[in-house]
Amino acid sequence: MGGTTMSERGIRIAGKLASSFTKRALVRLTAVAAGVGLLGLQLGQTAAAQTMLVVAETFNIKTLDPSRSIEGTQMTVNKVLYDTLVTFEGEDVKTPRPSLATEWSTSEDGRSYTFKLRSGVTFASGNPLTAADVKWSLDRMINLKATTAFFVEGIESIEAPDAVTVVIRMKEATPALLAILATPSLGILDSKTVIANGGNAGPGANTTDKAEQYLNSKSAGSGAFVLESYTPDQEFVLVKNPKYWRGPAAIDRIVIRNITEASAQELALKKGDIDIALNIGQDQIASLEKAGVTVRASPVAVIFYLQMNIDPAVAGSFANPIVWQAVRSALDYEGLLTLAGPGATPLAGLMPAIFPGAPDANGAAKMDRAKAASLLKGANLSRVSGKLTFYQDATVNGVSMNLMAQKIQADLAAVGITLDLGGVPIPLAVAQWRAGTTPVGLFRWVADYADPANYLGFLPGAAVGKRSRWLEDTSPAAAELVQLGNEARKEPDAAKRAALYEKLQTRLVETGPYIPLFQPAAPYAYRPNVTGVTYHSVWRIDFATVKKRI
Amino acid sequence: MSGRGGFIARRLLHLIPVVLGITVISFMLSYALPADPMTVNLGELAAADPEVVASFRQEWGLDRSPVEQYLTYVYNLLQGNMGISISTRRPVFQELRQALPATYELAVASMLISIVVGIPLGVLAAVKRNTAVDQVTRFIALVGLSVPVFWLGLVGLFVFYAQLGWVPGPGRTSATIPNPPFVTGFMVVDALLARRPDAALDTLWHLVLPSLVLAMYNLGILARLMRSAMLEVLGEDYVRTARAKGLPERVVLLRHALSNALIPIITVIGLGFGRLLSGAVVTESVFAWPGLGLYAFRSATTLDFPAIMGVGIAVASTYLIVNLIVDITYAFADPRIRLTN
Repeated sequence: MGGTTMSERGIRIAGKLASSFTKRALVRLTAVAAGVGLLGLQLGQTAAAQTMLVVAETFNIKTLDPSRSIEGTQMTVNKVLYDTLVTFEGEDVKTPRPSLATEWSTSEDGRSYTFKLRSGVTFASGNPLTAADVKWSLDRMINLKATTAFFVEGIESIEAPDAVTVVIRMKEATPALLAILATPSLGILDSKTVIANGGNAGPGANTTDKAEQYLNSKSAGSGAFVLESYTPDQEFVLVKNPKYWRGPAAIDRIVIRNITEASAQELALKKGDIDIALNIGQDQIASLEKAGVTVRASPVAVIFYLQMNIDPAVAGSFANPIVWQAVRSALDYEGLLTLAGPGATPLAGLMPAIFPGAPDANGAAKMDRAKAASLLKGANLSRVSGKLTFYQDATVNGVSMNLMAQKIQADLAAVGITLDLGGVPIPLAVAQWRAGTTPVGLFRWVADYADPANYLGFLPGAAVGKRSRWLEDTSPAAAELVQLGNEARKEPDAAKRAALYEKLQTRLVETGPYIPLFQPAAPYAYRPNVTGVTYHSVWRIDFATVKKRI
Repeated sequence: MSGRGGFIARRLLHLIPVVLGITVISFMLSYALPADPMTVNLGELAAADPEVVASFRQEWGLDRSPVEQYLTYVYNLLQGNMGISISTRRPVFQELRQALPATYELAVASMLISIVVGIPLGVLAAVKRNTAVDQVTRFIALVGLSVPVFWLGLVGLFVFYAQLGWVPGPGRTSATIPNPPFVTGFMVVDALLARRPDAALDTLWHLVLPSLVLAMYNLGILARLMRSAMLEVLGEDYVRTARAKGLPERVVLLRHALSNALIPIITVIGLGFGRLLSGAVVTESVFAWPGLGLYAFRSATTLDFPAIMGVGIAVASTYLIVNLIVDITYAFADPRIRLTN
């Protein structure tokens, strides 16, 4: 009986649902929805009268704790939450400038760096910034043994002899130290605040430090902005630090929102709902320019390259240096640059052209298919085939890896080289690469800090070299390259250092199992009423210098 | 226990073995992948440092045997601890608590649109068979079923946001309106709790387009099914009898025809909810909606085992609970069904 009652009730509900959808109801619903919308828009417009900057970004972040992370979004956000000892101005990656340190000197052996700190700097908390905070921040990074450890692995000791002096002693001469110290991951933390919230910089900090959760919700720096809120996968809200030592920023409030689709960023930018889009793709550029939005493409410290394995058991014919030369001559570099998008530049070495010591781009390889065919014929290599590993369906630095792989396949086919496409998801591609089982790979290498030392990984036995099974003892030439790399890494004189790097790069391209393809540029766009936008390869846009006309 | 309460309690208890089964499958699949969480969670220079690698493996228990890792996970899970995300180093439970309400908000709104629009459209199409109403309904259903949600989302944004300006852009709220404090995670509820009608209205307004786009597939299915079910029922003897008795057409349609045609529709609604959760991955990406879809994608691409397991548990539990609700609803719609077994 009860079932019958329930059934009737259900029918009545369903009946009401069906009968409610009349024309009149539809009109009412539409009117209510429109009213709600207008009210929402009205409220939005009222609030927009503040100096607020809205930024669209595809989030790439694990944590906001600067000492634990090297991801792109973290770098951008922490650049304005924390200050570093030194910095770079605008898009420059060559000349470190004062920031928290006003001056510095290097010992004769190049191992000791002495920094004098700016006086009168306070953290957003009001605590004064002293040398003890610098020492504590660097010690913490060393002892966290996190993914950032490579930044500080060369440090032997950090001393703070007085409140305004910091001495960093390196294990060997390390001219790259200044560039490393300019990275937002090396931001100086307010040690008192962080300690009060579980921070620990001593030995064993990798298990005893508990400050990360705090740093994900509050900032503890001296930067131009303070973190108001961080909602993972959604947004950051930063507010101006009125006590900033350089003077308050022009923007009162920054909202950085996670918008993963480039086309959605494009639409929101055109509508004026966002002020800066950090992740537009090539498909958006023309449309945005037509809409009167400022579109720019700045060089980034990234290179795309082909890598061969030197072990014939892995790579077959592709382990033959003659084949490397043939591939180098077979590629249509102009076509590759077109695919890479506006601002991309040719590469003569395995290092971005923006770093000192990079070989002149005029020396970059050029397509010469007759030479390629002749090389193959001369070596009696009538049938060369292999498989190209690449990041399937990924677009990195605005470059479609699928299109790039197809282009390379077509270029090599033109000289009789068969290359099957072996695209796999990024984690699997990286796993294969680390195992040294990639016959031929299309990869990119990103600089974590603004120094050519980042690219020493291509040397025999180093991070990239060993994945080609190219080791120091592979050949006398390989051993010589390693020696040259060590000299370049330690050379304190800037001019000599640049010359060493250039020599190294030329030799590396001549003898190594790599083919540099291009250096991409990062396209980004902003509304015409936004000014002061510069794009740095490491932290991208420094919001402290951005202004907006309302 | 017997009766409805017992039925519901038993079905809820079934959740436990199912969730454990999900953890086993998720765990085994994660381990079957020829990749290592270290690969995607440590940069290349960090991965070259044996001390950092050892510290990473120790921290995340990756230095222990898979069986030991799984048992530890289940032991913690039984105590309500879903572990820490390898990628973000935050508790998975806390992350799911933020992501799930966003997806539920979207899925429930979509389902409501599908039902409120799809069922009446299907009924109308059946009653006015071969008329313009029928043709329009069939076209809408075809669009909903055949057009990829990704494309529909982008076109929807282009037309209704960029060109016409009828709806707001991507995101769960306007950037100009500060979010209400997190209480339930349901933004509308949180806004009302914080006495912030501006934020509540803003959130509702942001829900319109993504939920409509996500609703299109289910709306298409419901309209089509409802149409064919109604057509079938309208030809039955008891409908003819009802009409012969002189009952008003409205009563014939709603009480006699619709009630019988609704039973298969309820099943489809239950299944459709599961599809909404999977469809949310794409919709959330297009509309920058910080829900389970985006979270699942990030977890999978970073091989974040605890997060992947958390997503599996959340989706499976949701699906089971929705199916339980569907089963209970059967009893309301069909008196022949009892909630005893």
